[in-house]
Amino acid sequence: MSKLFRIARAAEFESLTAFREFIDTTCAPLAGVDEALLYDLKLAVDEACSNIIKHGYAGMNPGSVILTIAPQPDRVVMTITDFGRAFEPSPLPAPDVDAALGGAELGGFGLYFIYQTMDEVDYETTEDGNHLTLIRRIPHSRPS
Amino acid sequence: MDVTARQHHPATIVSVSGSIDSLTVERLTEFLAEQIGSGRTNLVLDLAQVNFMSSAGLRAILAAFKEVRQPGGDLRIAAAQPGVLKVLKMAGFTNILKSFDTTDEAVASFS
Repeated sequence: MSKLFRIARAAEFESLTAFREFIDTTCAPLAGVDEALLYDLKLAVDEACSNIIKHGYAGMNPGSVILTIAPQPDRVVMTITDFGRAFEPSPLPAPDVDAALGGAELGGFGLYFIYQTMDEVDYETTEDGNHLTLIRRIPHSRPS
Repeated sequence: MDVTARQHHPATIVSVSGSIDSLTVERLTEFLAEQIGSGRTNLVLDLAQVNFMSSAGLRAILAAFKEVRQPGGDLRIAAAQPGVLKVLKMAGFTNILKSFDTTDEAVASFS
């Protein structure tokens, strides 16, 4: 069984830096993980956590957000757990920037970026909270 | 995140450093609005020192871009690092905003 790394923080925007730094510390040493892949991991988690903080816990006392990372030789598996409102993500088309220039509200980039940067996105709601699993393959890596 | 502005005729260079995320974006939005409110509508957004930007940054950039265009100005991106540039590209922003490798090139493009 692969090793699990875990961080828990309050569901507030002040926690975003800690999540990104945790990904840096945990994933930068992994074989095959370069700066570009590291950025994608941080972007997907930042967008997911921002959505949880903004929407999942809207109108509620901020609970916690837990990020676990399970590095494997060929992939990074990240799970984000929260205890707010469930929100099942689904792939979206690219947001329409031209429409936004014309005055339409600009939204949907967070989910769009998650699906653009991750190879698998899974969501499950259980008695133990909402679990968003983000999987990104590590290219050209050899099993160690 | 830190943000500063300096005049470099015929443009104003707004230099950002650190991370632009859901926490810090409000300050960037306000700062850009202050610049535009002061009549500075030829803006170069210098992103050389930005190590991370999420979709939150896109909203700030788009809001400022719309504002500067009304009086005939423009907002141009300079020196975005690879990760930040990828965010701009994925969002289609590089189709509507001019992007330059250096602030000097971005400033010169206003002449």
